[in-house]
Amino acid sequence: MLANRRQILIGGARLAALAPFYSLASAGGGSTRGDRVLVVLQLTGGNDGLNTVVPHRQDEYFLLRPSLSLARGSLHAIDDEHGLHPELRGIAELFNEGDVAVVHGVGYPNPDRSHFRSMEIWHTADLDPTPDSTGWMGRLADGVARRAPGEMAALHIGDEGLPLALAGEDYFTPTVRDADGFRLAGGVASLPGVRTRLLEGPAKGDVAFLRDAARSTYRAAARMEAMTAARTAIDYPGTELGRRLRLVARLIAGSFGTRVFHVALDGFDTHAKQRLVHAELLSTVSDALSAFQRDLDATGAADRVATLVFSEFGRRARENGSAGTDHGAGAPLFVVGRGVRGGVYGTPPDLRRLEEGDVPATTDFRSVYAALERDWMDLAASSAAHDPLPLIG
Amino acid sequence: MKGRSLKAWRPGRGEWNRGAAAHLLRRAGFGASREEVERALEAGLEATIDDVLSRDEHDPALLGGARHLVAAGNIEQLAAWWMALILGGGAPLRERVTLLWHDHFATSDAKVDDVRLMYRQNQLLREHGLGDFRQLLHEVARDPAMLLWLDGNENKRGHPNENFAREVMELFGLGIGNYTERDVQEAARALTGWGTKGRAFHYRPAEHDDGTKTIFGQTGDFGGEEAIDLVLAHPACARRIAARLLEELVAPDLGEAAIEEAARALVDFDWNIARTIEAIVRSELFFSDRARRSRIAGPVELVAASVRALEASVAPADAARATAEMGQALFRPPSVKGWDGGRDWINAGTWLARHNHLARLAAAKGDARPDFARAFGTPDAARSAADAVLTVLAPDGCNDGYRDAVVEAAESCASTEAALVLAAQAVLTSPEYQLT
Repeated sequence: MLANRRQILIGGARLAALAPFYSLASAGGGSTRGDRVLVVLQLTGGNDGLNTVVPHRQDEYFLLRPSLSLARGSLHAIDDEHGLHPELRGIAELFNEGDVAVVHGVGYPNPDRSHFRSMEIWHTADLDPTPDSTGWMGRLADGVARRAPGEMAALHIGDEGLPLALAGEDYFTPTVRDADGFRLAGGVASLPGVRTRLLEGPAKGDVAFLRDAARSTYRAAARMEAMTAARTAIDYPGTELGRRLRLVARLIAGSFGTRVFHVALDGFDTHAKQRLVHAELLSTVSDALSAFQRDLDATGAADRVATLVFSEFGRRARENGSAGTDHGAGAPLFVVGRGVRGGVYGTPPDLRRLEEGDVPATTDFRSVYAALERDWMDLAASSAAHDPLPLIG
Repeated sequence: MKGRSLKAWRPGRGEWNRGAAAHLLRRAGFGASREEVERALEAGLEATIDDVLSRDEHDPALLGGARHLVAAGNIEQLAAWWMALILGGGAPLRERVTLLWHDHFATSDAKVDDVRLMYRQNQLLREHGLGDFRQLLHEVARDPAMLLWLDGNENKRGHPNENFAREVMELFGLGIGNYTERDVQEAARALTGWGTKGRAFHYRPAEHDDGTKTIFGQTGDFGGEEAIDLVLAHPACARRIAARLLEELVAPDLGEAAIEEAARALVDFDWNIARTIEAIVRSELFFSDRARRSRIAGPVELVAASVRALEASVAPADAARATAEMGQALFRPPSVKGWDGGRDWINAGTWLARHNHLARLAAAKGDARPDFARAFGTPDAARSAADAVLTVLAPDGCNDGYRDAVVEAAESCASTEAALVLAAQAVLTSPEYQLT
């Protein structure tokens, strides 16, 4: 940790200097914990950590990856020994502005190299999940919903099934495919008079309950439609991820009320011919995330949004025979946001000390969760046994 | 107590009407078309109940279709196959109880991760779902999907895993408050050695704890079969199963007297589920006001009833996907407790899914387009289109404000077919329609 202290302080100092400006810029004053938003961007399939945050001072990196290693000069330096993948230009800029925490070697003990199992572990924050385990974001949504009943505490934006991360006890997180996903279908949707009259008149019991649910859904749908129709000052890339993050930014800017968002990008399971595919994926992430942050800046919401970028595991240090990489263990992750203490955290990978050919987990993912759960969202942490990393504040 | 007991219902003049017939066909099956309701009215109460109880033959092509798809290993396809059986209407009561037992013995492919085993369990529930409950419970206890789901293979002598033993008491057989922690631990010991090998049930004598156990105050060197027999012999068991049947077929929270009466019927009929259901659906209680539209329909029953009423040929995969978006993905119940049901079906996301899927169902084009003439007849004006829709989709009647809203929807249209679509959408997306 000591080696990285400098960066943490620099990040912290910059934030302190800029804080008054940002609190003036945002309409409702500075970020209070009651309106902070957590966005989780999941890189599905196991992102190659060593080609994301590259340890270019270690000769072993080039020896282990004869065809996949990235040239030192092409990287965006984050310190003397590490640089970000050339396609992570936007994230590098945000890092230089002090808004990105890079955490090395994140994972959990006894790594499971099955996608399904490892994702389950990350999603539940439970090393031995059972069918009854809830998801860490679902627990946050329950906490938010308890404090602000009637708001849509969490949203899953995507076309895959509801991620286990969002399974809560009480609150059921809706899925929205895209900006159109919350639009009412059918000709009856364009007859608000009919809809209103169908919900009128005396009612009790289940009918009264259903009318309340219908009314609040229609209100939410109308608000979402108005918010997504509004123009943005920032151009987003034309990717699916770009459109989804644009939707998140619109809902945040419009004070929709949702405080937990889940967005995923699939395709990181790069077993073969990885170079171009991985570059394309990282540029998709970086460009979309960069536009998202600029958009939040433009709408004055930036200081109340933190984004976690994670994957279920990293990849094998040595490339395989198909110019790809196989499933690994520990990997770096990013936490991005104006309210995040930018800098480098954790123990950098030492390629002379691999475990079963993998970068071991040196920082437990639950200490990242704890920072987001406790210090960012002001809610209970998944595990009391893991102190939060000082990423916030 | 009048009108609230299992005494056979003798309808008075006008009481065997569209509302009553539709109620019977919704609860003892998955809803009905206009023609089916009219046929029931003509045939009378007794003949209709006889038909409900005896209609028990699936199209063999539908039933056999599963053999090819289990090899593909895709659980969504299996859900679509089941949905085809439900929509096909060959054996409505049997599919109704299969769904009830899937919810009761809730097993999810999320953990079992084997489509063939999920299919076999589904067939088991279908085969025994109307038979002797005691046999059903014994079969389920040896079912490989269940053994994987509740960690049978981990339940070994000296290291008992209590997962199945706990649920057989808490959820499948008795309910909380009817057993002690000690009973669970001892039953787990009795069940040690029960596991799977390949895809089959496998008993490992070396892993069975053959010591003495005490369960519900009775002591012996019980094995798994005996532990299950002890659960079945517990007085709470018949009550729990009776309560489950009443909740599904009649109404939630009917009270102790009704549950007690149905539990007695279950035991008197030697645990035969079909005969117990017959007694329930013939009863005053079943047709009472207390039972009509008394709970929020689950997504599968809602979608199936809507498809049948609209005479639409919806692709089963689309119907299965719709129910999943509404919160009920077949073969993937949220936990061993099954779906919570009732008001837990509803939140902003699932309400939107109900609204949009039902609205699209009425407006579908191409193959999935409803057969409006069969569904609603051939009304010649907007107002009569609204009435035709209300007759089919709101057979219990409605108040004037509701009717005016549906008429307004119909009158906003240029053609009668468009009027039928809009009127149907208005009803399908209304809160009242969500009740069964």
